[in-house]
Amino acid sequence: MANLLEILKKKEVVLLLVIAFLALLSGGAWAMYQTQIPPEQPIQFPHNIHVGLQIQCLYCHPGAQRQASAGLPTQQKCWACHGQLRKYSDPAAPVALNLWPTELQKLAGYVERNEPIPWVPVYQVPDHVHFNHRPHIAAGFACETCHGDMSKKTVATVGETVNMGWCINCHLENSVEDPLKRTKLIDCATCHY
Amino acid sequence: MAIPKIPEFKAEWKEGEEGRWGMAVDMDLCTGCQACVVACSMENNVPFVGEAEAGYGRSLGWIRVERLWEGQYPEVKMTPYQPVMCQQCGSAPCEPVCPVFATVHSQAEQLNVQVYNRCVGTRYCANNCPYVVRVFNWADFDRPDPLPNQFNPDVTVRRRGVMEKCTFCIQRIHRAEDQAKAEGREVLDGEAQPACAQACPADAIVFGRLDDPESRVSKLSRSNRGSHLLEELGTQPRVTYLKGGSNDRLG
Repeated sequence: MANLLEILKKKEVVLLLVIAFLALLSGGAWAMYQTQIPPEQPIQFPHNIHVGLQIQCLYCHPGAQRQASAGLPTQQKCWACHGQLRKYSDPAAPVALNLWPTELQKLAGYVERNEPIPWVPVYQVPDHVHFNHRPHIAAGFACETCHGDMSKKTVATVGETVNMGWCINCHLENSVEDPLKRTKLIDCATCHY
Repeated sequence: MAIPKIPEFKAEWKEGEEGRWGMAVDMDLCTGCQACVVACSMENNVPFVGEAEAGYGRSLGWIRVERLWEGQYPEVKMTPYQPVMCQQCGSAPCEPVCPVFATVHSQAEQLNVQVYNRCVGTRYCANNCPYVVRVFNWADFDRPDPLPNQFNPDVTVRRRGVMEKCTFCIQRIHRAEDQAKAEGREVLDGEAQPACAQACPADAIVFGRLDDPESRVSKLSRSNRGSHLLEELGTQPRVTYLKGGSNDRLG
């Protein structure tokens, strides 16, 4: 023990320890930052334009109303509107594909090749968490409560820190006067199985 | 400095409380076909450990069909086939021994649940379980190629070092409750069915609400043919085993 203390008195050893500690700290910070940046999407989808056109969230993400996963739109769903936009596909004066906006060209490419669009889910929970959209929508929560104001975002980003504390906080706040509801909402088995 | 008082942990169970979900297994109907074992493994992403690991007693079945010898060797008599799964005890011996609260009693569903992300693999719970129904993931068992395609997305794929056990197919219970809530009614009898009950060709396993006295499982549980495994331990098991007696299945 005394030997160890002697070693720790050396300046070089202390310096080395400090460097090691800082390296670990910055590594941790970098890893945490990595979880917060939005993933690369195949198409830089502008949510703000679509929400600005008064398109409902549930039009493209209909699963939220009836199942666990809200779902991401297929190319057929995109093309149902984009295939008949007067601006580009007017039968009288069609605009050549190479004059379309870049992101729409990508969409047209997926439609032409009949490939699914490989969207990357942004809001993800670990495998041991079973989130279900349906009861949340049924309880009358608006999408922006968790997903932020999409009329101000282009590509989807994570607006909230999605962790258990955040879930439980909301569950506690919304079950203040109903002990039976609270039992259900803070039960382990509600999400973890 | 004041030491914060650690709340005393004990399974909150009241004498005579019948529980919420229960099961009745008719041993006179069970043919020991193992369909429940296969269905359970497929529903709950239970891996196959292979012969060598099974030889070490590391099999991962959440349900097993048990058959015992009665008597000394030449005059042995076989007991009836008996599917044994987690008994979802009202006063579970596995719960108070977990140092990290990974095995807890679900107050909402009245079930004994295993929280995989909390489990650190001390295996105390399995050692304290009188029914030996808790199984431990000794390794990340290999799932050869077509098998991952049949993973159930509603159930966690457990990692190495995690204890697991029968959940009464809580994912199906949740689905039924969710549907019932959306339609503004109570869960119907037989609406939530675990994989074993669904797969049983002899209809030997019946599952349902125990707090509804009119449900099929409640009637069977009250039957004089019924008994509980190791009832004398006071674990308040939620699975009733039926054997012999009256021909009337509800009698």
